[in-house]
Order: sequence, then structure tokens, then C-alpha cells
Amino acid sequence: MAVIKWRNHHLEDIEIALLLEAMKARYGYDFSNYAHASLKRRLKQLRDYFDVPHLSHLIPSLLYDERVAQVIINNISVLASDFFRDPPVWRYLRDEILPRLATFPRINIWQAGCGRGQETYSLLILLHECGLLDKTRLVATDINVSAMDEARAGRWSARDLDRWRTSYLAAGGQGHFDDYFQREGDTVMMVEHLRQKVEFNQHNLVTDEVFMEAQFIVCRNVLIYFDDTLQERVLELFGRSLQRGGYLLLGRAENVLQSSLAGRCFQKIDAGCNVLRRTAEVAHAGVAHVEVAHAGGLHVGGQHV
Amino acid sequence: MPGGCMSGGSMYKLLAIGFSAGGMPLASGILAALPGDYPLAIAIVTHLPAGQDSVLAEMLDRVSSLPVAMVIDKTPIQPGHVYVAPPDYHLLVENRDRFALSIDAPVLSVRPSIDVLLETAAEAFEDSLIALTLSGANSDGACGMARAHELGAMTIALSPLKTDFRTLPDAVLAAVDVDYIADQDEIIALLCAAGECA
Ligand SMILES: C[S@@+](CC[C@H](N)C(=O)[O-])C[C@H]1O[C@@H](n2cnc3c(N)ncnc32)[C@H](O)[C@@H]1O
Repeated sequence: MAVIKWRNHHLEDIEIALLLEAMKARYGYDFSNYAHASLKRRLKQLRDYFDVPHLSHLIPSLLYDERVAQVIINNISVLASDFFRDPPVWRYLRDEILPRLATFPRINIWQAGCGRGQETYSLLILLHECGLLDKTRLVATDINVSAMDEARAGRWSARDLDRWRTSYLAAGGQGHFDDYFQREGDTVMMVEHLRQKVEFNQHNLVTDEVFMEAQFIVCRNVLIYFDDTLQERVLELFGRSLQRGGYLLLGRAENVLQSSLAGRCFQKIDAGCNVLRRTAEVAHAGVAHVEVAHAGGLHVGGQHV
Repeated sequence: MPGGCMSGGSMYKLLAIGFSAGGMPLASGILAALPGDYPLAIAIVTHLPAGQDSVLAEMLDRVSSLPVAMVIDKTPIQPGHVYVAPPDYHLLVENRDRFALSIDAPVLSVRPSIDVLLETAAEAFEDSLIALTLSGANSDGACGMARAHELGAMTIALSPLKTDFRTLPDAVLAAVDVDYIADQDEIIALLCAAGECA
């Protein structure tokens, strides 16, 4: 056999594929269609965390020890979030989208990828201030059960409160942000009446099916972690869950319209804030008004990129 | 220079540039000096205060004869185009064809991180990468330069003597034996030569 010199980072790719295969076979979690570069970075941090020389050393551990698997899942599902992240988006929701949703008799909202709930409760605060809470059902889902336990408890470190308050005000918040929390030592807890207004359910966007008809789906900064194939699947799922005329909110830097078949069921209504409207027939039929908003990059200075 | 030239266009495909404090005039000068038919794709990560970061692409677009765009998730990498990270997202090179974004935790308290760009660019492009760091008041970028060097990229660091913000250049030089320590004019000459390298 000819021995070819392999660079270590190519060997790491093999280790990652094997590790993901073990996660899938043993626990049913399939991360193989996650975007590779960021996944690889996070997995390499695990190697340091567990203090093993190579990632492949984690394979026997994860197979026999569920706690190791849970650490891997926690590490793969990036939980970064904030209250009112990107204030202009929240202002746009308040001014443009909620008034349109208010015309529906009932508002079903699915928030996918809720993590520890900062975004979920931002939505509830907004709905509350717009007087829509009573006609709304909000279901928040995530792959990560332990993060959702924290979301359900509605408790976070008080450390970030100043930053969140600033975003809330920039987003056009009309009340007193601190009134939504009870302070307990160095943590803050969401007030009871908002915590009761949301259902948290585990849902894996890779494998699980549509479970509700929604008028509004919020899924920000989740699709960036997925490759084309998985993005396509998720969009198709959203297309089937959304009532015709319903809205989909994606993250500020996400782009799904450029090539995806499923993306054709959506029409961009605000390029800056990334709100799309469900237009066409069923998602997989692939008909529809396609409005390709930014193919490949944002246009700057009139030059097409 | 490392690798030398190959026929049929530059062997270098991507130029990745990182800087923070004091780097904006340097980066503008460098971009302004590159010709309109420059064959490499250029990716830029910088730390700017919130507010300024969103206009970075426009500022660079004004001085450069190359088209400048802010990256959206999975933007294709095209030769002769300049890409900047969107505010508050890490910019990664997903593979030789596409960028990717993430909101993974800040690195050395910054997002976007120069290390994240350079490390992923190095893995995807290996010896067809040019990694360049300018000035900065944070050492983010040093690990990325080390990784780029290890995987065969051409590495260029601004000379610490040419800036008031030498934390970044000092950290780079402490971390890695770069190919070139250069001032702004020398950097321009190196980049032009690498582009013509045919
Ligand atoms: C970066 S956070 C985004 C949180 C929030 N949407 C925001 O933008 O502030 C990504 C979330 O997606 C979740 N996630 C990752 N993979 C998932 C999957 N396959 N199904 C459902 N949620 C997933 C993670 O657990 C994490 O909570």
C-alpha cells in the first residue's frame, strides 16, 4: 500500500465524519448536514475541553456515556442569543408585521431554535405591548432539551440586563424593560404572566415534521449552521407549516432565495430585515413568484456582486 | 515568495486581511492600490465600534476599483471581489467556493474574529491563501496567522514600527515566523506581484 502523507486537518475531517456517524447511530441525532467550517471549529474545542489528543478518542466515550454525548450536543447547538438582537428588526415587526398579523382571527407563532429563550420572551414582550397576547399561541422549539429547560425557567444572569435594555429601547419598547423581570441576587427572572404564555417543545429541524399551522414563523441564526441540503429541508418544512400569506422571519445575514426550490414559496418583503411572505402552492411544487433579493451578496455602491 | 509562480494565472486564490485599531487608512490605501482586474478574492475582518461596522463595505467600495460587498451566509467566493464580515457575525471560509457565517461565542472578546477567518481560510485554501494582518490593539489574528503559515499560506504582517497600534503586529511576530514584515508600500508591491504571478 502506498503511504500518502495526509495533512492533519484532512485527517480531522475523517474523524469528524466518524464521530457524527456514531452520534447518529447511537442517539439518532444527525449533524452530518451542518455547515462544516463552524462545526469543525466547535468540535476541535471539545478536543481541548476533554483533553484528548484527537477527536476520534471521543467516539468510545460518547458511545458508552450519555453525558459525553450531551456535552457534544450542547457544543454543536450554539446557544448564543440576546433579548431584542438587531433592534431595527424588532421595530419593523412592531410597525409592519404585527399589525398585519392582527388581522388574522388567531395568531399561531412557531419560533424554531429558541435556545435559552431570550428571543422567545422578546417576542412575548412585543406581543404584550401590541395587545395581541390573548389571541396568540406561541410554540417555541429547539433541539437542545437542557437549553429549553432554562428557557422554561426564564432565568438568566443579570450581567446582560443593561445591554438588553438598550436594545429594547432601540427596538421601540414602550414600557419599562426592568418591569418584565424579578431580580434575585445576580439573576433576573421573567415575570410569571409572560412565562405562562409559551409552550416549549423539543423539535429537531433535521428529522421532525410539521406540527402546527402557523401564521408566523421565527427562525433566526439557525439556518447559518446548516448546509444547502438541510436549509432546503427546513424551508420546505416552514413552507408547509405556514398558512398562505403568513410570514417567515430569518436572521439578518441569512439568504435562502438564491437557489433553493423551497425558497420559491417565499417572497421577500423587506430585504433589510429579512422578512418573507409565504406565496405559492405547496412548497415542493416549486411554482411561484420568485423575487431574488440578493444573489450572492449585498449590493453596495451600485455594483452587482 | 513561497510557492513561486505557476503558469495560467496566480497560484493564489484568496487574500484574507485582518486589522483593528489604526488599520482603516492602511486597508483603504492597500485596496485603492489594487488594480480593477486583480484576480484574487479578498476577505476582510476588522473590529469596528458598533455603527461604523455597518458602513465599512461602503467606505471601502468608495476607494477600491474592485466591487465590495458585505457577506451574507454562504455567499460564493468570486475572484476580484472584496468581501467584508457583517457586524456581529464571525466570517468563515466554508470551502473553496463559499463563505459561511456564525454567531458562535466571541474570540478574545471580538466578533467577527480575525483568527476565525484566517484559520478557516487556511484549511480551505492552504498554500493558495495570502494572510495579511495590519495594525490592532488586540492580539486576535496571531493564532490565525500561525495556522495559515503552518498550512503553507503566504503570511504578511505590517511592521510594528509602522503603527501606533502594535499589539496585533507584535502578537503575530511573537506567534509565527511570517514570510514578510512590511510597510504599506511593500505590502502593496507584494500583493500586486502575487496577483500577477503567472
Ligand atoms: C445561535 S442560536 C439562535 C438563537 C436565537 N434564534 C437568536 O437568533 O438569538 C441557534 C439555535 O438553534 C438550535 N438548533 C441547532 N440545531 C437545531 C436543530 N436541528 N433543530 C432545532 N434547533 C436547532 C440551537 O440549539 C440554538 O438554540
